[in-house]
Amino acid sequence: MGRRARGRGPMTGDTQYDVVIVGGGVTGALMARHLTGAKLRVLLLEAGPATAWTFDGYTQHLQRFYAAAGKGPESPWPPSVNAPQPDTRDVREGDGYFVQEGPDKYGSSYSRLLGGSTLHWLGVSLRMLPEDFELRSRYGVGRDWPLQAADLEPYYEAAEQAIGVAADVADQSYLGIDFRDGYDYPMRRIPPSYSDHVLAGAVDGMEVELGSQQVALNVRSYPAARNSIPRGDYVPVGAVDDRTGGQALGRDLGQRCAGNTACTPICPIQAKYNASKSLAQADKRYLQVLAQAVASKIHVDAASGAVQSIEYLRYEDPDSPRCTMHKARGRAYVLAAHAVENAKLMLVSGLGGASGQLGRNLMDHPTLYAWGLSPVPIGPYRGPQSTAGIEDMRGGPFRAEHAAFRFDVGNDGWRAPAGAPDSTVAEAVTNQDLFGAQLHDHLASTLQRQVRFSLSVEQLPSPHNSVTINPSYVDPLGLPRPVIHYRIDDYTLAGMAAASDVAREVFGRAGITDCTDSEQASWFPSVAYRGNEYRYHGMGHFGGTHIMGDRAEQSVVDADQRSWEHRNLYLIGSGSFPTMGTSNPTLTMAALTLRTAERLAAELRT
Amino acid sequence: MCRSDGVANRSQVFLDLSALLTGFKCVALTGTGMTDAYIGALDDVLPAQLLDDLLAVYERLPVGSERDAAVAADILGDFKLGPVARNLILLWYCGTWTALPDQWRATYGTSPLDTDRVVSAQSYQAALQWVVAGAHPAGARQQGYGAWAVAPAGAGR
Repeated sequence: MGRRARGRGPMTGDTQYDVVIVGGGVTGALMARHLTGAKLRVLLLEAGPATAWTFDGYTQHLQRFYAAAGKGPESPWPPSVNAPQPDTRDVREGDGYFVQEGPDKYGSSYSRLLGGSTLHWLGVSLRMLPEDFELRSRYGVGRDWPLQAADLEPYYEAAEQAIGVAADVADQSYLGIDFRDGYDYPMRRIPPSYSDHVLAGAVDGMEVELGSQQVALNVRSYPAARNSIPRGDYVPVGAVDDRTGGQALGRDLGQRCAGNTACTPICPIQAKYNASKSLAQADKRYLQVLAQAVASKIHVDAASGAVQSIEYLRYEDPDSPRCTMHKARGRAYVLAAHAVENAKLMLVSGLGGASGQLGRNLMDHPTLYAWGLSPVPIGPYRGPQSTAGIEDMRGGPFRAEHAAFRFDVGNDGWRAPAGAPDSTVAEAVTNQDLFGAQLHDHLASTLQRQVRFSLSVEQLPSPHNSVTINPSYVDPLGLPRPVIHYRIDDYTLAGMAAASDVAREVFGRAGITDCTDSEQASWFPSVAYRGNEYRYHGMGHFGGTHIMGDRAEQSVVDADQRSWEHRNLYLIGSGSFPTMGTSNPTLTMAALTLRTAERLAAELRT
Repeated sequence: MCRSDGVANRSQVFLDLSALLTGFKCVALTGTGMTDAYIGALDDVLPAQLLDDLLAVYERLPVGSERDAAVAADILGDFKLGPVARNLILLWYCGTWTALPDQWRATYGTSPLDTDRVVSAQSYQAALQWVVAGAHPAGARQQGYGAWAVAPAGAGR
């Protein structure tokens, strides 16, 4: 095999591709779309099956969801034995794909199949705050990014176009978020729910104390990657139905959100963005997608550090570990396999690196539920699972003392914290012995008043929170399972305490009877802080395993998500985030991907 | 009532009992299309004759003001029939089968089908809990763009 140091070598006979991408989730798909648009030949390796890629296959996932006893984020998306994945049902026993070394449980999951976790994400597409990029400089905690908000601003715009975000700029300028004059999102905001209106009527303008600040709260529509009424000549991208001759019947489905109340775990009409849409938009003349191909090792040139090939295991049967080994070669390589899988692949390849940061600084947004009964019917179980949040606690000087947080204001009753409506029915029938008209009226009254907030709390990078591997723990292909060390520190715990206080004040103001932590709650891991117990869950917001920085000694990748030590290798996604802020990471991951793709394409085209 | 004049067949008696227990009218129950599936679900799990025992007790209930008290005492309060009747309510409201209590199983026997489960993809979507909530099954029967911004219609019977 020829040497292609720094990815600039000439094409040789055995180099079939310009770029090899590992992973068919949002970052891999956007990367493939951009690079093929620049006429670069791309091979995309996806560990899991491509069953969500066709409309018929997607429909089978939907049927699986309907019939599933548990309707968690993974329920429509079963893994292949060869690409096992974490499952939130495994957190309690700690016996799943993750080896949980504690002391706290890492509560999040992701999915390994073409489309990745965007198949079951909620679609929240918030930009990060300008201050999120400079936490160390401003507040003396965490790290600064090697990029500023202004550097990312054009890529945020591009990302909002690429994944299709619905919002009104008029709602989104707060805490320093700034938009170019004349800019607005590609689609109008998703209509806020009736319950958002009721809550806003009670709450808007109320002040709470955070640190020594008085903060005024507002119920605010959030940007969502869900199809709405387009602006200008933007055309909403509906369901993926990729077949010979191009998109077929699915194209016209899902051009508006229809309120299926199932963003997580499956939007039946694909009105919500998923990565298959970006792959469908790639130029197929330059793209080869290989599903059921698990990257198993990165081979590098010992002298230059350049990647020479990526070894992968191809399987025919998702239920059998029988596989064949192959090597993929390109001029450049992009790991877009997920924060945990990227780190795992580097570690199993012996590429832990000199900085000692690879796999470290694992973060999430540990999240509490607050739930209660509204004094008036608010009509939950309708519309997207949420359409608004309370964002005013995302930034401010209090971040010197404790974590920032945001509230997601639910439209789905007590589904998430307590498994309602089923659990509400079971409680009434089994414990209260209700039947007949009394049962009917009790349920009508109760279900229509259920309120849920998610209190999502920032977590700072810590080298002690990590993904490692251990030869004792392997999957059916013999590849390592991720070993997770995770602790929620006092900075985040104090943020949880503050978030709980604010939620109680909001409930009090709105006359909502607090039912948080009642006996109906589903099981969640808990942490203790100053005499209180906080039950938390993961948000699926993995970050920080290949952190970016401006110095090779302290980071894994540079601001272009390019490996310091292997210059034709890029590790992309939320693993590159030095800090998480409080925004759901997908939009920022997309923006970073588009920035990296632009630079990589320019380099390879010269 | 589901029955017209004359002798009611088993399905009609089952529907009448279901209407009494769920608070939904017979036409709403029939409209789910799940009647046969739920009778089948009960027959598959329960010992032979048990569903017919329940239907027979229902047929003997007094009418008028004593009826509700009799349901509570003779059906829901009965060691054998109570858990079955509660499962019947859960079938209609949730589309799910719930494992019977351990004591009940110890007395009347177990079935491999007696586990917590969704009866079928159809039963999930037909569950009346979504109707009573003034809503729709999550992931199905979408209400349309923006419908969620309108005040809830209230529970329909």
